[in-house]
Amino acid sequence: MTNFTFPLPDVGEGLTEAEIVQWRVKPGDHVAINQVVCEIETAKSLVELPSPFVGIVRELLVAEGDTVLVGSPIISVEGEGPDLAPDTGVIEAVADVAGSVSSDEEAPPVKNLVGYGTGATESVSRRRRTKPLAKGPVISPPQTAPSAPAAEGTTVLAKPPIRKLAKDLGVDLHGVSPTGASGEVLREDVVRHAGQATVFKNLETPAWPEIREDRIPVKGVRKAIAQAMVKSMFTAPHVSVFVDVDATRTMEFVKRLKASPDFAQIKVSPLLVMVKAMIWAVQRNPMVNSTWTDDEIIVHHYVNLGVAAATPRGLIVPNVKEAHTLSLRELAIALEQLTVTAREGKTSPEEMSNGTITITNLGSFGVDTGTPILNPGEVSIVALGTIKPKPWIVEGEVRSRMVTTVAASFDHRVVDGDVASRFVADVASVMEEPALLHD
Amino acid sequence: MNELPMAKAINEGLKSAMTADDKVMMMGQDIAQLGGVFRVTEGLQKLFGPNRVVDTPLAESGIVGTAIGLAMRGYRPVCEIQFDGFLYPAFDQIVTQLAKQTARHEGTQGFPVVIRIPYGGHIGAVEHHQESPEAYFAHTAGLRVVSPATPHDAYWLIQDAIASSDPVIYLEPKSRYWHKGPVDLEASGAPMHKARIAREGTDVTLVGHGAMVTVLHQAAEIAAAEGVSAEIIDLRSLSPLDYDTIVASVNKTKRLVVAQEAPENASVGSEIAATLTERAFYVMEAPVLRVSGFNTPFPPARLENQYLPDADRVLEAVDRSLAY
Amino acid sequence: MPYTDATLRLLGQDGALVQDDRVEKYTQAIAHLDEGDFREFFRIMSVVRRFDVEAGNLQRQGQMALWVPSIGQEAAQVGSAFASRAQDHIFPAYREHCVAYIRGLDLIDIIRMLRGVTNGGWDPRKTNNFHLYTLVIASQTLHATGLSMGIGYDGACASGDLDKDEAVLVYFGDGATSQGDASEALIFAQSFQTPQVFFLQNNHWAISVPVRVQSRTPLYERAAGFGLPSVQIDGNDVLMSYAATRVAMDAARSGQGPHFIEALTYRIGAHTTSDDPSKYRDEDELKFWQAHDPIDRLKNHLETLGVEESFFDSVAIEAEDYAADIRVKTLAIEDPPVEAIFRNVFMEDHPVITREAAWLKQYGESFEEGA
Repeated sequence: MTNFTFPLPDVGEGLTEAEIVQWRVKPGDHVAINQVVCEIETAKSLVELPSPFVGIVRELLVAEGDTVLVGSPIISVEGEGPDLAPDTGVIEAVADVAGSVSSDEEAPPVKNLVGYGTGATESVSRRRRTKPLAKGPVISPPQTAPSAPAAEGTTVLAKPPIRKLAKDLGVDLHGVSPTGASGEVLREDVVRHAGQATVFKNLETPAWPEIREDRIPVKGVRKAIAQAMVKSMFTAPHVSVFVDVDATRTMEFVKRLKASPDFAQIKVSPLLVMVKAMIWAVQRNPMVNSTWTDDEIIVHHYVNLGVAAATPRGLIVPNVKEAHTLSLRELAIALEQLTVTAREGKTSPEEMSNGTITITNLGSFGVDTGTPILNPGEVSIVALGTIKPKPWIVEGEVRSRMVTTVAASFDHRVVDGDVASRFVADVASVMEEPALLHD
Repeated sequence: MNELPMAKAINEGLKSAMTADDKVMMMGQDIAQLGGVFRVTEGLQKLFGPNRVVDTPLAESGIVGTAIGLAMRGYRPVCEIQFDGFLYPAFDQIVTQLAKQTARHEGTQGFPVVIRIPYGGHIGAVEHHQESPEAYFAHTAGLRVVSPATPHDAYWLIQDAIASSDPVIYLEPKSRYWHKGPVDLEASGAPMHKARIAREGTDVTLVGHGAMVTVLHQAAEIAAAEGVSAEIIDLRSLSPLDYDTIVASVNKTKRLVVAQEAPENASVGSEIAATLTERAFYVMEAPVLRVSGFNTPFPPARLENQYLPDADRVLEAVDRSLAY
Repeated sequence: MPYTDATLRLLGQDGALVQDDRVEKYTQAIAHLDEGDFREFFRIMSVVRRFDVEAGNLQRQGQMALWVPSIGQEAAQVGSAFASRAQDHIFPAYREHCVAYIRGLDLIDIIRMLRGVTNGGWDPRKTNNFHLYTLVIASQTLHATGLSMGIGYDGACASGDLDKDEAVLVYFGDGATSQGDASEALIFAQSFQTPQVFFLQNNHWAISVPVRVQSRTPLYERAAGFGLPSVQIDGNDVLMSYAATRVAMDAARSGQGPHFIEALTYRIGAHTTSDDPSKYRDEDELKFWQAHDPIDRLKNHLETLGVEESFFDSVAIEAEDYAADIRVKTLAIEDPPVEAIFRNVFMEDHPVITREAAWLKQYGESFEEGA
């Protein structure tokens, strides 16, 4: 003898519940297969339910007048007849239910065989996955070694946002080493590439010369540089201060300028921003824009801004005259002109004299910072280092930001520590927030 | 190599198929003595007799429903629906019956019925005579859907369709019926469901079918003069779509523009856009752009040139794609 | 009163043969039948009715989403099915369980369809050309007509040899006559003079819509309007059902074109187990038709022929056994494997089917065991 339970079926294609209107049998009655055991009322009609089992009615599990969910057991029969559904999982459930019923426990709802019906306790949960599925057929990675950059003209794999980033940063995706799982270029690959030092860019390592020594006569530009350096270094007491700053907004500003029609065809770089920052900072800290003579300190209320330029014959410092009167655009043009002239070796002595403050760009060599030597006749020199992605704390979280070190050296006869610090902080704050230039 | 207009090419293809297998038969309105309103079936009843080229009563559902019964009897019926706009009375028999009979019969018999439908605009026709209904069929599992753009493909695809053991919707771009093109009567050159590279290029891939392929050629010529090299893919098959060919092309060009006469919403072009995004995500430099009919009923014919995508509309999308 | 002056019958409800000159040719059509045939009619009607009741019970026990009862229509179906010849094709709607039985279908296959393990369930070529049930109303009338056209093109009719010439018998209901496809089928049949009989079981209801909404005139007259020879019969008279079908099918197969039979009968049960006729039907109407029950009528006739009580008892026992066997088979039906979703969508390989089937397999394997 086995205990069988009859779960309320869905008799009308999508019904979820029914009311037991009338029981036609009671516990102890013998019931035959197909004998009507009860009448139910559904949303659609009154229906008589025939027994699936033959045997003795054990218990009526719900009462007349109760509304019952589809799938809930309504009657248990101690039977010798066929099981409700021997080949589906239901029979185990039914047997479990039957077992638990026989031990007088609460019978849980049994999943219905056919049709719908929910059961109040049937909660939907997610089946656990062991592994993610492979992506569908996609373009396969290029045939080169996984971490080597794609050759020009072949396919680079990168998601649209990364392509945009590369475009904005002026990075050619073909030159970037991809580290993505499918061989694609990732965001950090692009950023790393953009910030990459170009230290080794142009140099080949030459062979050891065969002669033991080269003797270079000290004359000309080299002699002049040496004299200037010595004069500067050993007359003015040099002090250097440094500040690291998040220059991400400067990089964005530079990008916007590059895209602006006003700056079409004009070279724009972070150096331009720093030069503007220096002029603004000079206006707030005039002492840094001075000349020491033994009798007096001459504070200049104009800025002839010198830019250290590497030329084939050595380091020269031509300056942009009256830089404080120039708009950003004019300044950009002037700086570009200055650089071109210097590279051509055509800088005039007049252009190299009467500078009031200088900037030197160590970043173009990939160097973080340094302790620049003052240009003779000046009391301040600012060094722009490389701007590269570094971890930075933004709103309490570590983020990758474009970070640079602003360095400056001062003549301590004229510029004390507080002035020096304020000046450098001002320059740095513009690098952090170029909008300050609109002040 | 013969030069044939598409209507003649289809006629030759039908002739060839009917000669090869006497179970192939044709049914439709006005296809017998008149030879079809577009003369595509001209001369066929004379050749094959009234039992094989059958004028039916004016009842599209009846045409397709009886074709299903004939297929059950072992025939290979080729139905003609006179115009795209009139296929809808047959839509029930196509979707609830023809598309599902193979599955319903659990593969014990096939239903090799071909339904030929002239479709598309550009002939200044009245309402219901210029539609592009391919999306309904592409969306219905159990049907194969093809559409030739050239007389050569028209000749071969009709034969492929008839030879298939599955139901095939064969869409004939009616604006191309009388344009001539070379037809190689010896070899088809491509399986039924393979797309064709109609023009090679490197800067952008243009995809279309039927009459749109001609427009794509026009656009590509202009683009070339402007320094943009466009690759053209003629789909030939709308269901299944030959994604391998499209993906390989986009791998090369990185940009995709899909053009269709049909209205854009839930169109075959939209399906291509979704799938290409999945399969070519890492190489695309612009989103897939669709150039389609507007989401309105097909307008009166005097407006069809503004409604249907032309070379300018295709080129606008090409410009937009290149600007990304 | 559902019968009209045009309604033809051979048997009255009391089991006595009817005296009517109009049925002369029909009387001849059953002349070759004997008591053994009538016993067979009775047996089958009884067994299938018992099967039908069992199937209804099984639905109420959760074994099927739906059951479609044929109770009350046994004579219309058994008579007509026996009248068709072995070489004929039969197109049912979805309620012709007696016809299925006679054509050799294992009725468990009908239960398999309604249980949801198949959308078809059998191969007509292996079931004496008994075609699949069609659920889209009247759709099968066009398929039947098309196949009939094919018989014509094959030259497989009108030779004069009744045992060779083929014909098609298509069943449909009163509701179906309103569908456009039904009219189109009559048009094509008439136009092509197909070897075909349209057998309309007017069971008076299309779910809850009575036949007077489908037509204000008797439905057999509609066929005459399309040009088909047409007759209205008492569908609960199995002998008339046989005779009318025999005459019509043999005329159709002999080159006389399509014919039409309207068999007046009644859907004693509901449209399906989801339906509740008590919401729209008249008790008196039901009582009338219960009083004209087809099985009772034949039993009455057999009794006038002197058939013994033990025969009826043995049929009842056989019917019980059949029902019990169906019950066991139903409870043993297994769900189809998930791969069946992708099987047989096309006859030839299809890349989308291949891809999706592979994906679903992979997807299924990506879950933890027993999850």
